[in-house]
Amino acid sequence: MNEQLIEQITKMVVEKLQETKGKAETRKSDEAMPVNLFADAPVGQALATEHPDAGPAGAVTFHRTTEQKQPAATSKVASADVGACHKQDATKQSDAKETELAELRKKTPARVGVGRAGSRPKTKTWLQFRLDHAAAVDAVYGEVPDELLDRLELFQVHSKVADKEEYIRRPDLGRRLSDEAKQTVLEKCKKGPTVQIVASNGLSAKAIEENLEDVYLSLEQSLRNLNIDMGTTFYVDKGRVALMDEIGEMLQPDVVVMLIGERPGLVSAESLSAYLCYQPRIGTIEADRMVISNIHKGGIPPVEAGAYLGTVIQKVLKFEASGVSLVNKEG
Amino acid sequence: MNQFNKRHETIISAGIDIGTSTTKLIISRFSLMNVAGTTHVPRIEIVDKEILYKSPVFRTPLLDASTIDTQGVERIIRSQYAEAGVTPSQIETGAVIITGETATKRNASEMLHHLSHEAGDFLVATAGPDLEGIIAAKGSGAYDYSAKSGKVIANIDIGGGTANIAVYKDKKLLGTCTMHIGGRLIEFQNGIVRSISPPIERLLAEQGWRLQVGDRADSPAVQQVTDFMASSLARILSKNVASDDHVLLLGHTPSWLDDVEAVVFSGGVSECMYQHELGQVQVAAYDDIGNQLAATLRQNGRLQSFEWLEPVETVRATVLGAGTQTTEISGATIQVAPHELPLKNIPIYQHDFMFDLQQGLDLFDSAISEAIALYDSTREGQNFALYISNLPYMGFRDIQSLSQAIIRLMEKRPDPSQPIILIIQSDHAKVIGQTLVAMNVQQSVICVDQINVETGDYIDIGKALDSGVVPVVVKTLTFHTS
Repeated sequence: MNEQLIEQITKMVVEKLQETKGKAETRKSDEAMPVNLFADAPVGQALATEHPDAGPAGAVTFHRTTEQKQPAATSKVASADVGACHKQDATKQSDAKETELAELRKKTPARVGVGRAGSRPKTKTWLQFRLDHAAAVDAVYGEVPDELLDRLELFQVHSKVADKEEYIRRPDLGRRLSDEAKQTVLEKCKKGPTVQIVASNGLSAKAIEENLEDVYLSLEQSLRNLNIDMGTTFYVDKGRVALMDEIGEMLQPDVVVMLIGERPGLVSAESLSAYLCYQPRIGTIEADRMVISNIHKGGIPPVEAGAYLGTVIQKVLKFEASGVSLVNKEG
Repeated sequence: MNQFNKRHETIISAGIDIGTSTTKLIISRFSLMNVAGTTHVPRIEIVDKEILYKSPVFRTPLLDASTIDTQGVERIIRSQYAEAGVTPSQIETGAVIITGETATKRNASEMLHHLSHEAGDFLVATAGPDLEGIIAAKGSGAYDYSAKSGKVIANIDIGGGTANIAVYKDKKLLGTCTMHIGGRLIEFQNGIVRSISPPIERLLAEQGWRLQVGDRADSPAVQQVTDFMASSLARILSKNVASDDHVLLLGHTPSWLDDVEAVVFSGGVSECMYQHELGQVQVAAYDDIGNQLAATLRQNGRLQSFEWLEPVETVRATVLGAGTQTTEISGATIQVAPHELPLKNIPIYQHDFMFDLQQGLDLFDSAISEAIALYDSTREGQNFALYISNLPYMGFRDIQSLSQAIIRLMEKRPDPSQPIILIIQSDHAKVIGQTLVAMNVQQSVICVDQINVETGDYIDIGKALDSGVVPVVVKTLTFHTS
């Protein structure tokens, strides 16, 4: 059986389970498994059915900063299926408990209060977990489609890493450009720009695929609004964050912004981070780097992150520092 | 690492409550801090509120039965600012609220806006019976109790003129109701009835009880009135509105659906029950049914069937709520034209995209026309704030088409040169604001996010603070008639 087929079947089973559950307890189904929110972004092109139905804010703000006016509706949850042995008396109590658990589940994408079957997780929870895990693995081993890079007019170079296995085993090689890449970069890129943007798949190609375009276009617009000069953006296959040091050395920009796929987790496999550094050079210490992380559908919306990055870069340029040094200078 | 989070700024807030019987003021200081992790986009929140000064309780100065003594009120405020050691220019946020029967006075609206202008740099004018109840519930502690206990809690703020009920569960507002129940509805002088307010006159007529000005204060009709008030309140709380209760209702019937489990009484009449202020300087003295009403409420059997919780503030609940609970902080990534702020009394028009961009854009035209018809029917150039809610997941190109539509539609306003004021429910204010600027929009742009409002609300937006956020007050402005 090929991988895509397995994936499709798993997805179908999960959907089927959700459906039957939905029929049995109509109103409960959407509350019962908030983890579903985060599985709305399955991995692989085979799955055409992506439907991010909740607004990005609703899906992942772990807590509300503003009070929401609620219509005065009571959602009485149907009786929970836990206390089957002492139904009558326990119904009301388990109702209250279920409401409380639902309340807790709303606060985190972690798998809390999902119930169990004997000593094991329920089938649905288990399949969901397997699906999320598989998505994480796929994100690491996936590739960024050329079509995306063409659309954004980015050229591609490679790090010193030969393949994914080596990429994982040898972080040091991911921090250096291949000899060929160095030559291409020196040929094609503008020297000494104010801001040099670099994109890399890092540990999640999916992160780039999903978010790069929106972050990049929004960041580009923001820099243009602020009259900040931008270099020639390019894409590095299998790069690491500290690759920006070598690029800084070669092109002498004031700021390097590295948009890179983050190590996938079980909540999101497509989280992008933007690392920034003021004049990174070989030997730059980690404390001088800063990061805006958690850029994805369920985190900071990529378009908003791009717009925000512009103002962060403006601040970095103003104080001529980044990371801890920036915080110190800001006072 | 903590260094990142240590810096915080403070702002001074004032709360002023001008009620039927009494006027009071409160000054507090808010601390704002970035509560997001170091690798996240900042999230600025109010992390601490410290009360700096509480004024004594003053009698609300009136010129006559239907006119508030604006200068008198202003004198009280100025003297209390001096006492507290603050000047109006230091007041960076807060609210002045006009409550109870005072809101029905002839010059209520005029005085309120005058005060909000005079008494602070960004002091917000608020009024409306539902808002009174909401603010009192926040000041009395009922709002916090509702989260701690998980119970359905009704806060009943009974002042001189009205009882404002707000029902909360887990900090969610379930509904409100306002009634003509208050201490000053029948006033005495030397043991004689001095005045009876119009709603009570109607009640007396309906019930056939005999009471008129000049009667003895211990006339049995007085007790009949307070008994009726107590049992009517009990019926309203359990949503069993009897036909003869309507005379005491101000506005709509109870709007909550859940069963109230516990009650908190605040306001001047609650002070008669709990005597929190005993031994403190009392500027105002009362000679009305307040005490008798408080006693009747305590004895009423049906009211006793609810759990009673003691308020943290009695007579000062509303002013505390106005001073400390009305200000919200916008999202940290926003786009505002600094020279346009502060903006006051901007009505809100909500356009719900229902998670479908194309459909939302298709309906956008008619939404804007409706907003103009609603707030600027005479086409005099009353600006409004557009609240965009339930946006779907948006890519950059979606943001561009949305922004284009906004620019196009804002030109349709009677006065297109006015700033474009946008409130975005989701975290998109910065990118939408920037896109508008990138498209060379002619007007100033105020684009803030992560504030929940709805059509009919008003919003005041303060000057940008050092951390880049703006203080925002969402409110109502309804001056009811008696």
